[in-house]
Amino acid sequence: MNDKGKELYDVIKGKINSMKEEDSLERQYWNFWKLGCFLKTKAHDLKNVYEDTSREFVDKYKEQLIKMREQVLENLDYYVEKCINVMRKANNFKVHYAKTNKEAHHIFMEELGDNKVVYKSKSNEAKDIGIIDFLKKNDIIIKETDLGDVLVQLFDYKLPSFQVGPGAHFSIDDIVAKIKEMHGVELEPKPSAIVDYYRKTYRKELLNNVKVSLTSANAISAEDGTIVLGENEGNISLLTRATEKHIVVCGIQKIVPTVLDAVLVAKIQSRINNVPFNYINLISGPSSTSDIRGINVLGMYGAKEVVIILVDEWRTKAIKENLFYKDYLKCISCRTCNFVCTAARAFGNIFASKYGWGATAILTDYIHNGIEAAVQDGLFFCTNCENCYHWCPVSINIGEIMKSIKKEAKKAGLCPPPLKEYQQKILKDKNPFK
Amino acid sequence: MTKLIYLGCLSLKNYEPTCKNAIKIIKFLDNEYKVLDDAPCCGSLAFNISSDEELKTHIQYVNNWFRANDITELVTICAGCYSYLTKYYKELLGTDFNVEIKHLLQFITEPRNLEKLDLQYSGKKLSINYHDACHLRNASKPIIEEPRIILKSIKNVNFNEMGYNKTNSICCGAGGGVYSIFKGNSDFNAKAIFDNMKKGKILLTACPFCYTALKRIKEENNIKKSIIKFEDFIANLMEGVDPIN
Repeated sequence: MNDKGKELYDVIKGKINSMKEEDSLERQYWNFWKLGCFLKTKAHDLKNVYEDTSREFVDKYKEQLIKMREQVLENLDYYVEKCINVMRKANNFKVHYAKTNKEAHHIFMEELGDNKVVYKSKSNEAKDIGIIDFLKKNDIIIKETDLGDVLVQLFDYKLPSFQVGPGAHFSIDDIVAKIKEMHGVELEPKPSAIVDYYRKTYRKELLNNVKVSLTSANAISAEDGTIVLGENEGNISLLTRATEKHIVVCGIQKIVPTVLDAVLVAKIQSRINNVPFNYINLISGPSSTSDIRGINVLGMYGAKEVVIILVDEWRTKAIKENLFYKDYLKCISCRTCNFVCTAARAFGNIFASKYGWGATAILTDYIHNGIEAAVQDGLFFCTNCENCYHWCPVSINIGEIMKSIKKEAKKAGLCPPPLKEYQQKILKDKNPFK
Repeated sequence: MTKLIYLGCLSLKNYEPTCKNAIKIIKFLDNEYKVLDDAPCCGSLAFNISSDEELKTHIQYVNNWFRANDITELVTICAGCYSYLTKYYKELLGTDFNVEIKHLLQFITEPRNLEKLDLQYSGKKLSINYHDACHLRNASKPIIEEPRIILKSIKNVNFNEMGYNKTNSICCGAGGGVYSIFKGNSDFNAKAIFDNMKKGKILLTACPFCYTALKRIKEENNIKKSIIKFEDFIANLMEGVDPIN
């Protein structure tokens, strides 16, 4: 192990020690998560209101979903071109194709113009693409709208949290106290009182003040350019309607062949997480009307302009060069791999990166920031148990991908010493315990 | 043509009585099987961090050792060895690898062997849980039904499924060499496995890595449930010894 390796190993050990401290943020998160993940996993086998369990639902469509994702990745150039053409010609979308994240950042700034505030939905893709960091650096005010993210912002919580429910680890009492501290309002310690507070205050702002909104997409249909966005709160509905300009930022892997495929992706995400998508938005253009003598005018009640920024960055390269993580492009971002992850259960949010939580967030960090970042995120916590693979609705073997990253870490002198010693003994003495 | 009992380096180092029990079972079922000294490690602990070249060199060494000793088939008691021998050896050596690999659980499940063993528990009806180890359930030829067939065949034994089982079992947290670096992974997960037993107080495992983690957690947390290695359980039943003592 080289000096850098030792430094990273110390960082990891420091994180573990923080997690052991009773009052640390890491510990608080883990206390919540270790129970949450088991309950969430168990929920897959429960028949709630449907005739089938969520696992049965996913199994019913798994083969179709895998075939569809593979078809897209094998013909990605074709689907990207088809999608862009139809979005421009039929949907009145303004479409940008950004080869790199950096290009996407600048396009976004140009689209933002003089606006200094962006209202955003959860948009993990925008985070992955680095838009959020870039906007912050440029003094753009980011206003979260998903309640979980609103709470994360309220607490100024800097540690990684779970992408599906980012604020779920805050206690009700803490939320109420924080609202009192920040807004001077005393609320009853009940979830309904907190929700009611934001409904009464923030909803008004969302209906009246939004000039530029940012969302990602659950999927985009190549046949008709429809953007599919699932949600349960209604924040995306407001952001995509009560705005002047709606900007969609996502990777090109979000494209699927048909609108039915796109809806299937959204339904799978909803069922696999046991999170209801009370609204599935299908957006095929800016708001318009032809009610005055049949003349089409854009921007009736909804967004006047819809801008799509499709980002390539590593994606085409991964396919063309057959990189070991290219299968990750099949991911539909359901995050179910996190619930069942051995390392995530044991290490909470210290098995995470700035892109979020769990193995896929570490992989994203590796892709963008290299091997040292992945090691620091807790790469070597992964036991390669392949629980992620067994549960993945598109059968991505994240365990195998993590194994390849570990090999690279070893090559770079970043492998933790005990593991390396075993390897050396096996290769030299043909027995790790001699 | 030699039939080999491949014990695996972890069991050989830490679990000598278990090795003796495994040998007893295998030789009782087929006396042609034998143990050879200095059998090399399959390399399982090195697989996650070694380059293809390093792995191939090691695998070729092991394969040459098999050839030099005229090994045509082997039975292993190690879940890790089974997983790696069946997956990577075939993958990296192709047709050059000609050893038939069986795990002890598969070997016991063969109808004639199960019949010959004719296992029964002589005490008060015994309630048994089985932990599906990742190495066995994830193998290219997964071992999932075999332990269930064996346990259900034993007279006076009640087999219980764990809350999370088969391909959804909880990993003990010791795999991938993680046990040597971050034992904390097992602190939570191995304990969760004990918590996941629905009925009965006996947990069987067929993986020495899982056993190591589960045993430590049981002792450190003063857990009143028993963790027993599959081989020990079977060997004790064969000899009429109570496996829970």
